[in-house]
Amino acid sequence: MKSLILGVVFAAWCFGAADDTLAKAYEALKVKDYDRAIPAFLQAVAASPARADIRKDLAYTYLKVGEPEAARGQFSEAMRLDPADTHVALEYAFLCYESRGDAMVWKATARRIFDRLRKQDNAEAERAFQNIDRPLAEGIERWTQALELGTDSFSANYELAQLAEQRDQLSLAAEHYLRAWKLMPSVKGTLVDLGRVLLQAGREEDGRAALLAASRGGETRTAERAREVLPQRYPYVYEFRRALTVDPSNVNLHRELAYLLLKMSESTEGEARRARQLEAEEEFRVIVAATHDLISCAQLGFLYLDRMDMEHAAPMLKKVVGCDDKDLADKVRTAHLQPRAEENIQPAEETFLDARVMGERSYAAGYLKDALKYLTIAHEIDPGDYAVMLKLGYTENMLHDDASAVVWFGLARQSPDVSIAEQARRAFANLRPTLSKVRTTVWLYPFYSTRWSDNFAYGQIKTELRLKGIPVHPYASIRFIGDTREMTPGAAPQDLSESSFIFAGGLASDPWHGATFWGEAGTAVSYLGAPQQKDFRGGVAWARLWGPSVLSDASGGFVESNIDGVFVSRFGNDSLAVLQNKAGFNLPRVGPLHTQVFVNADITQDTLREYWANYVDAGPGVRLHLNGTPQSLVFSVSALRGVYTHNEDNPRHPNFFDLRAGFWYAFTH
Amino acid sequence: MRLRISVVVIAAMWLSCSPDSATAQTGWQQILASVNLSADPRIRLTGTGEAARPDWAAKVEKGTVLILEGESPLAVSLGFRPGKQTVTVTSLRDVHEPDMRIILEKPIELSRWDVPAGSTVFTAERWTGAPMVAGYRSGKGAVLWSALSPGRIGYERFPYLIHALTDLGVELPFRGSRLWAFFDYSYRTRVDVDYFARRWRESGISALHVAAWHFYDPDEKRDAYLRRLIAACHREGVMVYAWLELPHVSEKFWNDHPEWREKTAVLQDAQLDWRKLMNLTNRDCFRAVSKGISDLVFRFEWDGVNLAELYFESLEGSAVPARFTPMNDDVREQFRSSPGGFDPIELWSKRKDPESLKRFLNFRAGLAQKMQEEWLYEGEKFREFNSDLDIVLTHVDDRFDTRMRDALGADAGRVLPLMNRQDFTFLVEDPATVWNLGPQRYPEIARRYQALTSRADRLAVDINVVDRYQDVYPTKQQAGVELFELVHMASAAFSRVAVYFENSISPADMKLLPAAAVAARSEERPGNGMLVDCPPGLGMRWNGPVLVDGAPWPFHSRDTVWLPVGKHLVQPGSSDVPVRILGFNGTLLQARWTGFTVEFEYESEARASALVEEAPTGAWVDGRAPLILAANGHTTLLLPRGRHKVVIQAPAHPGREGVLRSSAVVP
Repeated sequence: MKSLILGVVFAAWCFGAADDTLAKAYEALKVKDYDRAIPAFLQAVAASPARADIRKDLAYTYLKVGEPEAARGQFSEAMRLDPADTHVALEYAFLCYESRGDAMVWKATARRIFDRLRKQDNAEAERAFQNIDRPLAEGIERWTQALELGTDSFSANYELAQLAEQRDQLSLAAEHYLRAWKLMPSVKGTLVDLGRVLLQAGREEDGRAALLAASRGGETRTAERAREVLPQRYPYVYEFRRALTVDPSNVNLHRELAYLLLKMSESTEGEARRARQLEAEEEFRVIVAATHDLISCAQLGFLYLDRMDMEHAAPMLKKVVGCDDKDLADKVRTAHLQPRAEENIQPAEETFLDARVMGERSYAAGYLKDALKYLTIAHEIDPGDYAVMLKLGYTENMLHDDASAVVWFGLARQSPDVSIAEQARRAFANLRPTLSKVRTTVWLYPFYSTRWSDNFAYGQIKTELRLKGIPVHPYASIRFIGDTREMTPGAAPQDLSESSFIFAGGLASDPWHGATFWGEAGTAVSYLGAPQQKDFRGGVAWARLWGPSVLSDASGGFVESNIDGVFVSRFGNDSLAVLQNKAGFNLPRVGPLHTQVFVNADITQDTLREYWANYVDAGPGVRLHLNGTPQSLVFSVSALRGVYTHNEDNPRHPNFFDLRAGFWYAFTH
Repeated sequence: MRLRISVVVIAAMWLSCSPDSATAQTGWQQILASVNLSADPRIRLTGTGEAARPDWAAKVEKGTVLILEGESPLAVSLGFRPGKQTVTVTSLRDVHEPDMRIILEKPIELSRWDVPAGSTVFTAERWTGAPMVAGYRSGKGAVLWSALSPGRIGYERFPYLIHALTDLGVELPFRGSRLWAFFDYSYRTRVDVDYFARRWRESGISALHVAAWHFYDPDEKRDAYLRRLIAACHREGVMVYAWLELPHVSEKFWNDHPEWREKTAVLQDAQLDWRKLMNLTNRDCFRAVSKGISDLVFRFEWDGVNLAELYFESLEGSAVPARFTPMNDDVREQFRSSPGGFDPIELWSKRKDPESLKRFLNFRAGLAQKMQEEWLYEGEKFREFNSDLDIVLTHVDDRFDTRMRDALGADAGRVLPLMNRQDFTFLVEDPATVWNLGPQRYPEIARRYQALTSRADRLAVDINVVDRYQDVYPTKQQAGVELFELVHMASAAFSRVAVYFENSISPADMKLLPAAAVAARSEERPGNGMLVDCPPGLGMRWNGPVLVDGAPWPFHSRDTVWLPVGKHLVQPGSSDVPVRILGFNGTLLQARWTGFTVEFEYESEARASALVEEAPTGAWVDGRAPLILAANGHTTLLLPRGRHKVVIQAPAHPGREGVLRSSAVVP
């Protein structure tokens, strides 16, 4: 009872609300203020959705402002609410006939309504029906005749189909939509028309087939239109097959069906699985025959491989491996070779060659993990191939597994091929010390500087203890720092170098992002007889080379950067920062001569603001290395123009030229 | 070969749009340019890497309109954040046109975004509702964000960005008032014509080209409708042209005269689409149609006659004989009896050689030219009785799409020289074959036609705003930004732009269309002044009294000041002129307020209209009284075509008597 009362009150309130807004709507309509009337009508409709009269008046108002689609919607609803109102039905039918969007559908609807009403003896409907139907019949006759006269064009068929659709001659419409589409298969929208007509004719499966064909592989817009009509669910296999009977060359349909079949095969076993795979294989075969689709090619290759059909698998996979799509090729290599090697389905020699080639290609392309995999397979197949061992060494080295790399280089040193043996020997020699527990490094850098008119020499002998797993290494070191002139001339002569041997012990870190931290404590012993001094120093060194080094046979541009930060207690606890950059070109090797030309750009600064430690310089330079001389022996000359950036107490000109020539030599044992 | 199109030109157009081009604009720049917003200092475009500077919020509060694209620290700082879910975007729905299918050419997978509370989502992914374009107002400014860039040319993805900007308070600075629009009464039979006439005027439409074949045969109800329409348009200052589609005459004429029906090359009556073509080569038919057209022209108060598409069918050319015209007996006989002639019907049987076809196609182009000349002459005859009648020849473009000559017999090269002898506007119609191309085509089309005539001022272009048969994105029909770019580029390239048709343009686009229909240049001057370089028909958004070149200016409405051609300084004024002209659709050359009267000089190829706020005490055009119409909220002066001087006397108000007349123009 309570709910009944509430219902009555609510209904009364609704009517009241509707009346109120309706009054406003009619008031606005009276003064032709449609922009106010329409929202008021809409409110009234919301309040009383079952009142057809409000909808009719809203529809007429929509017509006043040129919104026939909105009017059509309201008349449609009014017609549903009051099916006996033939006037509303006629209004709706007229608006259907005038619709611009999806015109064929609406015109056919209009004709059907007029047809229904005329059969109820409605004279206006009869007139309207005849006005619509007669031209349609004439048009169908005219275009049928035109086609008979030999004009088998897309437009002729399409126009005939449209006229037939409007006249509900659905078989005729379907026949000519299909014909039109076959004449111009790129216009997939025709398949949507075909699908629509077939659905309307009750041929649902055929209709869905046409729509499914339209929804794949054509224009996005057409695909969207087709999807709007298709069921929301994913199509079944038989539906794909039926769609392919409509559009057999639709590669996207074939592909989607193929993957659907593959997916389905995963959930089955035995013969059923095999059957699905064979069906998928057939779809991929169609795609591969029709296109250059490499993914399908790879997929087909794998399917052949899976059933041990090497004859057909090999050309498919080779085609993919040789393609420009490195990622795809690499995936095929990865997926293909390793398991096949294990299963030994190929003759060993063939597999070995493939593995070696693929290993080398992967290495060249920078796919190091894959390179390692293939080269390992190749080594397993032929353990006596030294070239593979050498390549494995390089690969491990690039992968930062120097312990493994040095083993491979060690083995490759035994190669009867001199070239391989020499490369391996050099690599081994370079790498082995880095892995030794005790490592001794010697370096020497003597040079002449016109800026100081003096010969300088720097050098160090350092023996490190490298314990596995500990990132810091203790070392003992003897440094040499000296020159030939010893002092600057003038009233306030200065030492040109330390003229000492420095004996010290220290700690150095493993490189971290290219930077090495070190610190040492020792004693400086002057070879000129000066008293011994305590010497504490430490710092960080960072070096990076982009491009080939002067020792490389490769030519090309390079950039080199060295940053050193050093604290030295003996110079009043001074700290220096030295940034040295070189950018240039590694020239092609001429005989034994390696040459690098470059431009220097250096900055040196310190915390105590000493003039000699605060300058920038720049200028061209050249570095040379001769094959046959020790590998790390490099001669260099640079012509630098510099400027002191702090000139307090500077006895010299603020600018300087400096021709610096010297050589660098180092080795590690 | 028959399908050869100006490949080089199209390639050049594409190149000119190429992002690698030194002058390439971003999509947003093109969007803003289409409605003259490029120079708006309030609008700030930001890229995907834009840093989240803390002062942005304050700037927006003070009036900056910030445009964000996709993910950036700035977007995130303002609350536009990508979520973890992804969404594949193919279809969009926009609040401005919810029923419009907006489809991306290729599906794009992207994050589903969160937008700040209080934002309006303007565009969303159709099925999931994921926000794609959203924005909010903040203080005097606003923020507009889109999940993706709008694309290289500005309209590949989001058609309604300009609408969104205006929703966020951005005012479009200029408006044009010179558009023409085609009108088919079939779609507007039950509209309120007064409502529509006002809407057309507000949309910058100066003339309506009404499908006149519906009115060829007198019919009481239809004629009354047309008279109401014309009267309503005139009251709103919109001129009305009779748009003819000869050789289609009328439904009744077709039914009454089967003997004069045109034939296709399969010798069927030429009923092609909605057009039912008549054989105007037949002299009896021509005379009958000429008389019918003459009756039509004088039965209504037309301001002009548009002779449209006066050539043959079809776009498919000789490849589809069922659509190929003319193949009536008269034409066949004429060609047969010409030197080396033959029965052209043989082209589809025993004369399939290209040379024979070429000969007939040349003959056919000549026939089309003759037909056009003949009807232009008919137009001249109408002028003997109505000197204010404007004549327009709508002609499909065959210079840019060179296939049109062979397909339709249309040859602009033969017709354009007629402009030196006869006074008519040549309206270039884009053929359907190029409707998918971008707006860059219009400067190129203009260049090609300008080279063929000394009357470049009478060249106009027609933009067909309809569903295109090509595979186009994001909308099947030009809408929003694409429409604005087309209209804007066309307006810059041609003296007049027509749109086909007023019914196909949505109300939302129609409202903003005038902002695109003019290409103006302006620069700010000290003292709130703007120096504006004005093409004909330029209106500038302005509120309050205004000075133009330092003098009080009478041509302004509530929010627009209408400016004469040339460079002018626009500044705030202190008081309104007593006579305000709310709208004017001719080319305003100069004007002044004398203290008692408004005097102005104009030029117009058709009748012009001036909408005066209050009924004036008097008005004179070169000393004679114009036609004055009372309208709702204003008085309309209908002014003669040509170049004239007008004086409008201020309405009588207490305390403002003894108005002087300008001795120069007032009798």
